[in-house]
Amino acid sequence: MSVMNRKFRFEKRDRQSVLRVVITSLIFTALAFVFCGIVIAAVGFNPLEVYGKMLTKVFLSKKGIEKMIAASLPLMFCGLGVALTFKMNLNNIGAEGQYAIGVIAGGAFVLFGPEIEGPFGILIVALLSFAGGAFWALLCAIPKALWDVNESITTLMLNYIALIILSYLCLGPWKMEGQNVGQTERIPKGLELSDLGNTGISVGLIWGILIAVLIFLAYKYTTDGYQLSVIRYSPSAAKYAGINMKKNILLAMGLSGGLAGLAGFVQYAGVSHRIMEGMPNNAGYTAIVIAYLSRLNPLVVVVVSILFAGLQNSSATVQVMGVPTQIATMIQGTVMLFVIAGDFFQRYKLIVNKEVDA
Amino acid sequence: MDLIISLFSGAIVYAVSVMYAGIGETFTERAGIMNLGVEGIMLMGAVSGYIAAVHTQNLFLSFLVVLLTGALLGLVFAFLTVTLQSDQTVCGMAMLVFGTGLSGFIGKGVAGVAANLKFGTIKLPLLSQIPVLGEIFFQQNLLVYAMYFIVPISTFYIYKTRYGLKLRALGENPAVLDAAGENVFAMRYGYVIFGCMMISISGACVSLANTNFWSSGMTAGKGWIAFALVAFSSWNPVILTAGALLFGFISCLGSNLQIYLPQVPTEIYSMLPYIATVVAFILSTGNFRKKHTAEPAALAKPYDRESR
Amino acid sequence: MKKKLLSLLLVVAMTGALVAGCGSSGSGSTDDKDDSSSAAGETKAVEDLIIGEIQYSVVEDGGWGQAMHEGMLQACENLGIDTSTNLLTMEEISEEDTALVESTVEELVDNGADIIFGCSAGYSTILAEMQEEYPDVVFAQQSNDVYENIIEFQIRGYEGEFLAGYMCALMNEGSNELGFCASMDEASVRTALNSFALGAKYANPDATVQVLWADSWYDLDIESQNAKTLIDNGIKYMGMEASSPAVPQTCEENGAYCVGYNIDMKDSAPGAVMTSFMWNWVPIFEDIMTKTADGTIDISADYYEGGDCAKLADFNEDLVPEDIQAKVNELKEKISSGEVVVYSGELKDDQGNVLVEEGETMSDEDILAQDFFVDNVIGGKK
Repeated sequence: MSVMNRKFRFEKRDRQSVLRVVITSLIFTALAFVFCGIVIAAVGFNPLEVYGKMLTKVFLSKKGIEKMIAASLPLMFCGLGVALTFKMNLNNIGAEGQYAIGVIAGGAFVLFGPEIEGPFGILIVALLSFAGGAFWALLCAIPKALWDVNESITTLMLNYIALIILSYLCLGPWKMEGQNVGQTERIPKGLELSDLGNTGISVGLIWGILIAVLIFLAYKYTTDGYQLSVIRYSPSAAKYAGINMKKNILLAMGLSGGLAGLAGFVQYAGVSHRIMEGMPNNAGYTAIVIAYLSRLNPLVVVVVSILFAGLQNSSATVQVMGVPTQIATMIQGTVMLFVIAGDFFQRYKLIVNKEVDA
Repeated sequence: MDLIISLFSGAIVYAVSVMYAGIGETFTERAGIMNLGVEGIMLMGAVSGYIAAVHTQNLFLSFLVVLLTGALLGLVFAFLTVTLQSDQTVCGMAMLVFGTGLSGFIGKGVAGVAANLKFGTIKLPLLSQIPVLGEIFFQQNLLVYAMYFIVPISTFYIYKTRYGLKLRALGENPAVLDAAGENVFAMRYGYVIFGCMMISISGACVSLANTNFWSSGMTAGKGWIAFALVAFSSWNPVILTAGALLFGFISCLGSNLQIYLPQVPTEIYSMLPYIATVVAFILSTGNFRKKHTAEPAALAKPYDRESR
Repeated sequence: MKKKLLSLLLVVAMTGALVAGCGSSGSGSTDDKDDSSSAAGETKAVEDLIIGEIQYSVVEDGGWGQAMHEGMLQACENLGIDTSTNLLTMEEISEEDTALVESTVEELVDNGADIIFGCSAGYSTILAEMQEEYPDVVFAQQSNDVYENIIEFQIRGYEGEFLAGYMCALMNEGSNELGFCASMDEASVRTALNSFALGAKYANPDATVQVLWADSWYDLDIESQNAKTLIDNGIKYMGMEASSPAVPQTCEENGAYCVGYNIDMKDSAPGAVMTSFMWNWVPIFEDIMTKTADGTIDISADYYEGGDCAKLADFNEDLVPEDIQAKVNELKEKISSGEVVVYSGELKDDQGNVLVEEGETMSDEDILAQDFFVDNVIGGKK
């Protein structure tokens, strides 16, 4: 069967190879940059110069790479969580709010809890952040599991509520003395995540990679994980196979929210060292994009979130040259649109001038 | 009585600005395509209309520009989702990021520039004289009046016409339509483009009706609310209206309650619309007695002739 | 069996990494620091200065960012600094995104920035840390005086808002009730609200100010709804603290009047904006720039300026009668000369506690970190 019966036509590929996915993604990313290059040239800048600088300053310099990885951690954790739910066709759009509640739960202990510092204290704070995020996600997972209430709407709405609570706390009872802005005091040194060597990258990176590997292995080797991973492709088959959907919904959403909560933890314990109003800063939404561009593969999420953070950081480099900041956002959007378009060529191949008569 | 008039007319103004997007999205989703990029498209509509207003000083032309912008974005989105059959969630997110970035960029020139050109309040003769109701319903702007017709027409279209039947089939089981000789792709293109034009008008409500200026990111989450309301309404324009009014009403109520119930922290009032929406959503769509879900079965699933 | 072994291994590995990671805390960065040269002491022609400006939003935000950027452009122009080459403006740098702020500072330093201005209060903690890394660069931050190694600057905004409240109360003949649309509950917002209320009280001892909160820095619907609610409750004159013209435009549509905020908002609602409270940063920026150029800058300095820095825009001649204009100008002189002190006793908060005793004045510290509402504010947060 062909889509078009003209001089060329598209034919569905029998199978998808990993190599092809990688190559088409790269080609279309390159095309996206060509397209943006035209826009940059139209605004009056030399695109080669702009790209060259982005590359050398952000993606190839030691400092740039450090900053890029540091900025990627919250995206990575949220991305891992989001990918987990999307894997079983649950649209968790609420990573933003789960992040915020994770911050609040962990922050409450940091600011008001007993003074436990060192590894044990860090573990408690991390667990609390995880629990906070998981709790917020379960608020939506339970109605979904019991009454099939669409989770994308509930998670989305809870984002707003969580952010209002966070900003109330940061501007109100939790605010640092003498400071005007919505920030708390610096968290105790003993509760900070230390850096890897002298790089400015916190050990959160190791956590992130470990969790990604763990999820990857769980999909491959455990029954629960395997069940989770096949639901997306055939929910009906999953039902036949006797998979307990309710349990899996709660499990996936809980873990996903927990990971978003941990994103908050790595950000305040490892990078910002204090809790701020509006802290999630759209990481939860960016994570959706990251999860998809990574094809929901946890290991790829790690890489893509680092690259994405680099793209965000490059807005500084680009602006110094006088290119408007919105160009950086546009590049992000364009890359996404092109990579999505490129997906088509993973599924289909182009056949030119091959007469077929039925 | 003044309070009631204030509450309801405020709720209507708010509701209409999300309902254009909501109804547009309803048609798009009924056709089986989910567009998550509502916010980005709204911003593009808002900025393009405002730029046109500043430069042409002609409201009609500006409105045409708004429609055109929506149609163009719709075309891109339809190409990605219908022709290339790409994942709709991520396409929507891409539209969101792209629209936010581009609108900020092209709007640089008109940010802070006063156009002084908007859909102003028009008091309908006679009707606006009706006590209370007249003040609530008939002292509004043109976009609000248009909405009074759009809701019943679109409801009628979806449920009572042949086209509406096809539209619903498009979202439930496109393969059947295809087998019946209908052009599934063309229909989806049409509804996606129509939807984006409506979303674009929502943007115009923000920059050319409710307020009259442009600033980057000015829709501040409205697109998401519209998106949420669509599922909330079970893809039904009448329930969508009710949902939008409820949301608008509660946010207006919050601002009045600050005066009448000052003991309660105002943050509670800010959360109230969201809490109410979630609760109402769970109660109205929850599958408590195993009833059929209204969600189009083929929503967000690309149609692929070969795998039918 | 294989599976169990694997998971066990992972758990061990993870715990190991966790403990190892947490154990070695405090290994801060050991970048080559060269403290021999410091910012002060070096001289440079002022027009050769390279200025970095870090903004939270875009600079055409119609509010805070725009006021700050216009001040920057004006200061550069006055000093002969070419803004097209020597002013590096960085927009949309989120305060919450620590890594991005750090990259931005590094980028500016790499481009030879002599001064870096943090134009929103949330950067102060990061800039103070970055200063240690780049001691040759002067860091100036809009914020209260908290850190010793960066310049902090603020404007005595309360002087302008006091005038605004005074004017509104004078205009509001026959009524004691004024309104105020506020964004978030933050000290700077409280300052605007309280001084507006005090100004109103100075004109009319019975004047009260009903405040409505948007609980958001930017939400057009709630801002206009709040204005509408005030108007529907019989209030005709109001002050505001918000970055958009939503409140003025709502007033215009409903026959009420207001005082704009941040920048001159007259153009967006000519029928409602009587005047606007404006931030004028030019004198502060100029001073920092000149002193950096001639090497006399003190990086622990703290600016807290009033007078022309916190001024009202030109009056809207169609709305404000001349005698009221004259009275406002007269009061302005009195504030400048010190005859009238905005925060002076006896001052009570809305709970009835005495904040300032009769005959005394409030300290700058307390003014900057306001955690109270004065007694004629209705609807202050608890």
